[in-house]
Amino acid sequence: MIETKKLLKIYNPGKYEVKAVNDVSTVFAEGEFTAVVGPSGSGKTTFLNCVGGLDTPSSGDVIISDENITKLSGAEIIKYRLNNIGFVFQAYNLIPVLSARENIEMIMLLQGADEKIRKSRTDELLNQVGLYEMRNRRPSQLSGGQQQRVAVARALASKPKFILADEPTANLDTSSTSNLLDIMNKLNINEKITFIFSTHDQRVIDRARRVLTLEDGKIVNDIKK
Amino acid sequence: MNLLTLIKISWRNIWRNKLRSFVVIFSIVFGLLGGIIIIAMSYGLNEERMNNAVDTYLSHIQIHNILFSEDYNIKHTINNLDIIEKAINEDERVVSYSKRIVLNGMLSNSNGSYGIQVKGIEPEKEVKVTNTYEKIIDGEYFKSKRDNTILVGKKLADKLNLNLKSKVVITFQDENYELTSLLYRVEGIFRSGNSRYDEMNVFVKNKSIIKNLPGFKGYHEMPILLNDIDLRGEVKKDLIPLSSENIVEGWDDISKELAYANEMLSAVLYIFMMIILSGLSFGVVNTMLMAILERRKEIGMLMSIGMNRYKIFMMISLETIFLSLIALPFGLLTSYMIVDYYSVVGIDLSVVEAGLENFGVGTRLYFKVPNEEYFNVSLMVFVISIFSSVFPSIRALKINPVEATKTI
Repeated sequence: MIETKKLLKIYNPGKYEVKAVNDVSTVFAEGEFTAVVGPSGSGKTTFLNCVGGLDTPSSGDVIISDENITKLSGAEIIKYRLNNIGFVFQAYNLIPVLSARENIEMIMLLQGADEKIRKSRTDELLNQVGLYEMRNRRPSQLSGGQQQRVAVARALASKPKFILADEPTANLDTSSTSNLLDIMNKLNINEKITFIFSTHDQRVIDRARRVLTLEDGKIVNDIKK
Repeated sequence: MNLLTLIKISWRNIWRNKLRSFVVIFSIVFGLLGGIIIIAMSYGLNEERMNNAVDTYLSHIQIHNILFSEDYNIKHTINNLDIIEKAINEDERVVSYSKRIVLNGMLSNSNGSYGIQVKGIEPEKEVKVTNTYEKIIDGEYFKSKRDNTILVGKKLADKLNLNLKSKVVITFQDENYELTSLLYRVEGIFRSGNSRYDEMNVFVKNKSIIKNLPGFKGYHEMPILLNDIDLRGEVKKDLIPLSSENIVEGWDDISKELAYANEMLSAVLYIFMMIILSGLSFGVVNTMLMAILERRKEIGMLMSIGMNRYKIFMMISLETIFLSLIALPFGLLTSYMIVDYYSVVGIDLSVVEAGLENFGVGTRLYFKVPNEEYFNVSLMVFVISIFSSVFPSIRALKINPVEATKTI
């Protein structure tokens, strides 16, 4: 379970302060498939960054499985992210000099997993995202949709408690988006992986089972389908 | 993530932009080449100068009376000469030796006078120790049956307008402090490759001095040539106990400026090399900073997914170090081949002959780089590449993952 309590993030505190996330308290249960939506500047990405431990909130708490990650030190939060949170970025952000397989495997290398486990987990994920045949291709040899599927596999490689995806379909065409959502939906249902997206994409919103709407950093709507 | 994986990623990263990496690598190769060639020329010049001095006049070891070394008085001849000669003759490390009478005096002719050092030699013995006989550019090396012939240096000949058969008068103080003048006729003109030496030294036969100084006996200087220049230390040790009134010196004791030049040279060349390599390191740093700027998003992503600061630092450091280490073998190999070639063929520097003669060397310069210099230069490149890697790595650590991954 992920819980945010009175989460507040203020940019430029003092003179020109902007409350990007304003007193947000909510709970994400295990296995949720949530879309965080709202207009540009509503605080979606900042909210996800705070939940993922990438950004430090000005006040409030983020509690993940009874651990308050806002209290962790710099080194601790890096380690926490590595072992507990998966990230999918809008621009895929794969390492161009590594193959699809190596990109996925890298997370496990960072975790210090042994070779046998790494290999079987990588093969399993490549099969799940339908890219096993392209495992030795580098990102430049893959389409945008394929790259994002590698990014999803990479996010899953560390067996995280949940996955945060910031506008994951923003750079994808309709068929790639549909394909990616199918894969994520399947993973969510079959493996109970919690997904939290920030998105503008109606196709993602339609598939989400919970839609959390932010405006001016505040939750204005929270619909569970 | 183990070091091997970091090495793999770093290695692949440097080949992302091949042109840029090759530009940096070539700049380091050419920097190394330039630096090592300067080292080779400097060592070559210095060795040429040293060899020239040793072969032409110093020899490996010299023996003098201690007092003669202080005031050059004609009275202070070598002590226990017979015992020393016996020991030298029995020593297998000694190739040959000669005995010289050395006078400080004035050489005059109708064109003027010049302060000189007269070396009274036995020509047959002297040719086995020094090579002045090879440096005769005009006339003969004591072939005349007359005793009062003289060899003068080219520079002195030019100053006093001396030609073959020119008459000159040498004036010096005898053992009674009386001025004595001897008349000589120029038999040969030599050019040693050291214009200072040519200006200050003349050679005459021993006989010509002894004949005119009936009360004088003995010799002032005994140059000794050994099988190997490096044996001078142990031979010196064996000769010193033979007389407490003599001083036994190696070439490096007599010509301290030459010996110091060797030591100074290494220090100066290290500084020179450091400057070149430091200059090159700025190029490497600049390239790495550009690479980091281009890869902000990727580095931000690595930080986001949990790559710790140490690993980010290591990854960027390895990339920087690799650039230098790739260049190193190519730089060394190219330098080695060029140095090897010119160490045999030499470079003709006759266009700057006069300047080189003042410096005490000939016109053909042979490159020389002691093997340990290649090792030292490699070490310097390695150390500088580590220093160069610090700044880009720190810059990479300053990337904010939130900001970096936000950009498209």
